[in-house]
Order: sequence, then C-alpha cells, then structure tokens
Amino acid sequence: MAELWDGLREAIRLILSGDSYLRDVAFRTIVVSGSATLFAMAAGVPLGYWLARGRFRGRTLLLSAVNTGMGMPPVVVGLVVWLMLVRSGPLGGLDLIYTQRAMVIAQFIIAVPLVVGFTAAAMQALPEHLPDLLAVLGAGRLRTLWLLSREANLGLLAAIMAGFGAVVSEVGASMTVGGNIQGSTRVLTTAIVTETSRGQNDRAIGLGIVLLAMAFAVNLVLTLVQQRRLR
Amino acid sequence: MEVRFQDVRFLRGARCILEVPSLKFAQGRVTALLGPNGAGKSTILRLIAALERPTAGTVWLDGASASPARPTRAKVAFAFQDAVFITGTVRSNLDLALRLRDLPGEERATRIAAVAEACGIAPLLDRNAHGLSGGESQRANLARALCLQAPLTLLDEPLAGLDGPARQQLLRELPSLLRTFAATTILVTHDRDEALRLADDLVVLIEGRVRAAGVKRDVFRSPPDAETAEFLGYSVVSSLEDGLAIAPGALRIGEGDVTFDLTVEAVADLGARRELSGWIAGTRVALPLDDGAAVPGVGSVMLVSAPRTAVVRW
Repeated sequence: MAELWDGLREAIRLILSGDSYLRDVAFRTIVVSGSATLFAMAAGVPLGYWLARGRFRGRTLLLSAVNTGMGMPPVVVGLVVWLMLVRSGPLGGLDLIYTQRAMVIAQFIIAVPLVVGFTAAAMQALPEHLPDLLAVLGAGRLRTLWLLSREANLGLLAAIMAGFGAVVSEVGASMTVGGNIQGSTRVLTTAIVTETSRGQNDRAIGLGIVLLAMAFAVNLVLTLVQQRRLR
Repeated sequence: MEVRFQDVRFLRGARCILEVPSLKFAQGRVTALLGPNGAGKSTILRLIAALERPTAGTVWLDGASASPARPTRAKVAFAFQDAVFITGTVRSNLDLALRLRDLPGEERATRIAAVAEACGIAPLLDRNAHGLSGGESQRANLARALCLQAPLTLLDEPLAGLDGPARQQLLRELPSLLRTFAATTILVTHDRDEALRLADDLVVLIEGRVRAAGVKRDVFRSPPDAETAEFLGYSVVSSLEDGLAIAPGALRIGEGDVTFDLTVEAVADLGARRELSGWIAGTRVALPLDDGAAVPGVGSVMLVSAPRTAVVRW
C-alpha cells in the first residue's frame, strides 16, 4: 500500500516538475496511439458500414471474425508484425522495425477490429431504410457515409474510445515491434515495464497513474461529446 | 414520366420475387400497385428507384434504363413506408432532401413553406423529427417526397400506421396534394379502398406476377381470375358450375338480373344499419338488410340477386 502512495506522490512530482522524460514518453504515447486510432477509424468506419449494410455471401462469417479480432492478444499481433517487418521478413526492406511507424501499424491492427465491430453495431441500429433514403435523394457514397456516421455518432464515439483504450494500454505489441528504445520508441506502457524491471516501483506506478490519467482525459472529452449529443 | 418494365425478373437467392414481362405506368397518372403482403409491390418501387437491380430485363424511365446515376435519381422522389428521418428538425430534414438535389437556399425555403402548408405540417417544421407522432411522421415523410416536385413520385403505403380519423383525412387530402406537387405517381397499397380512392390506374400484383393492369374502372369491373377478384373484394362463388364472382356491395334481397339462393347465417345490428350474412353455394356473403324488412330465421333460404354488370364469370 505504501508503494502505491509513493507512486502517487511520484506521479504528482513528475507532472508538476515538468519532467522531460515523462513529457517525451507521454507525447510519443499520444502520437503513436492517436495515429493508430485515427487510421483505424479511417479504415474501420467504412468497413464497419460495409459489413453492417452489405448483402454478400460470407458476411456473417466476416462479422464473427471481426468480433473475434476484438479480443486479439496484442502480443500475438506484435509477433506477426515483427515477423513481417524484421529484416529477414517479407516487408523487411521497408526498414520499419523498431520505429514508431511499426508501432502504429501494430496498434492499428489491434484497433481496427474494435472500430469495425462497434461501427457495424452502430450502423445496424440505424433505421433500415435510412441509407436507401439518402441514396434516392442523391447522396453519393461518401456523403451517405458521412450522414450515417453523424446519425451513428454515439456508437462511433464508443468505437474511438474502445480503439484508443485498447492501443494506449497495450504493451506486448509496442515492446515487440518498437523495441522500447529510449528517446525513440519508448511509450508509457513500455516505460512502466522498464521501470519495474529496474526495481523503480514508485516511478513505474507514477507512470501508470499518468497513463491512466491521460486515458481518462481522452475518454472524458469523448464521453462529454457523446452525452451532449444524447441530450 | 413514363415507366416501363420489359421482361423483368427479380430473384432473391433461388426464389423468384417478381416476374413482369411487360408493364407500363402512364405519364401524368396516379397508379396504385395493389396486392397482398409479399406480392412484390415494394420491390417494383425499389427497382424503379434503382435500389435493386433486376436479375433480368430492364426498367425504363422515359427511355433511359433505371440506374443509381445522379441524373436518373434526380427524377425520382420516394416516400418509404417507414418514415425515417435524420437527427434534427422537420425543416432540416426537408432542407437536406432539397440540398441533395442541389437547389439554392431561396428555392428551398419557398418549397418547404409551400409543401408544409399543403401537407399541414407548418407548425411542426421546427419540431424534432424523431419526436413526431405516427400521423405527423407520415405527413412529414410525404412532404419530404413532395417538396422535390420530381417527375416521378413513389409512395410506399403512404397511409400505413395511421389511425382512423388521421387516415381518412390524409386520404381526402392526398389527391389534391399529388395534383399540386407530383407529376406521375406510383403508390403501393394493400388496401383496395385506398387504391380505388387515390388512383387513376390499377395494377394488381399477386405472388410476383401482374394479374391485371389498366384503368381503375376496367380492372375493377373485369377481374381476370378468382384470386384477383377475391382481392378486389368480390365474393367468389367457385363451387357453382361456372366460376363466378359478385362485386362488393352488389347483392340485394329479392329478384334481379342474376339470382342466388342464400342460406341465412346471422343478422348483425351495426347501429346505423343491419347486415345479413349467409352462404351462397359454400361462399360466405354479406348484404344490407333494409330497416323495415323482416328478420329472416337462421338457416332459412331466401332469394338474393345482383345486377348483371356486377357479376363476373369465367
């Protein structure tokens, strides 16, 4: 219990002192996980719409695969991405391994099923004839997707929260494909692992509290937007 | 706008939903697609609006095949059976429809004001569209389709979900609304009374096939088969030597052009009038019983008749 209090004190000290290490790691965490979530939204929303509204053979199978993917272990994703990007791997020539871009790719793969699944559920909850109505009125595909996304905004905000929450808190994939290189690929979760392994438990707990506070702040903003729209 | 179906087939999986070798919806007329649930009526509207593609054949809209292309869609207005709205006011929903048709702001405002007045939704314009009652929703749904003033207006069960008085009122108002805002109209209904009141032409569709099509009066007076006649409200007496059907409301007590023996089943007092029900050769029929007439005994046989023009034989 004493370690927890020490951790809390350390977190407050790190934040108030404007610790450059914390600033650097926290900023990188936001950039990497934020980018992965944004890319996942860009790919996942249209895919979710397609899965929700499309009429094609194998749709249910695909939806089941997406739902399974929502629980995909990050470390497995990290391993697969590592095997692809490592120098001897099929995409080794891209020279992405142990870079932030590799971490974004891995986190993108973790977030996409969540965004697709949440989007599909949100789109399926919309009135059945709404896409038809927009089509007859002359809305093109992009405009239809935009208007439907606005209608399903509560579900889509939940998709962002789930996607961001999953990637900002994962450690396995980031560690495997990023390598936890200080000043380059170290993010809050991998920094926590490093501090714990060094026996710096109070610092690890401090970073953990910062991570939690950051995730809470992002989700608070999204929840406020979501609930305002609900009213 | 003239709409023509040419050798159209529509399959869902292996199941044939619609088979229409030839069908024409005349320009400037109101045509009712009449048929029981599952007959393929809404599918016809969806094919015209290019929301579905025919498995075979072509749907022609004024000589151009129906397609999702913007110029073709711009000629069509569609009021779906379920009144669906985007989040916002009734006005913003109507405005979106007109914006998607690239109409300038001033024109949009003028059209919204005109259609809202005509459809009786002017006081609802600034209300949340998702908070409307069933009747208000249907009116707003109709107004959204009519404000487009499209060459072709498609209405899928425009009176669905409306209760008695609201339905009757809209039924009275619809013909004048269609005259003002719609050019050619095709409406789907499963209600014979609705079809006969609203339409110039009738198309009877049963199990995906057109059984009768033409001017309302002709279709109603000469149903081609027992099933169509039954759907049009005829009493079909199929157990007689020749199949025959008696038009709704045509039977009277006593001698006439075509006479039948009626076995009395019951007399119902409906308040304003009395109704005699019974059986003609195994077919149940009902006819009005005059106020002064004696009440016949249950099981007794009496003579009833119908004018020759109200009896169809095959």
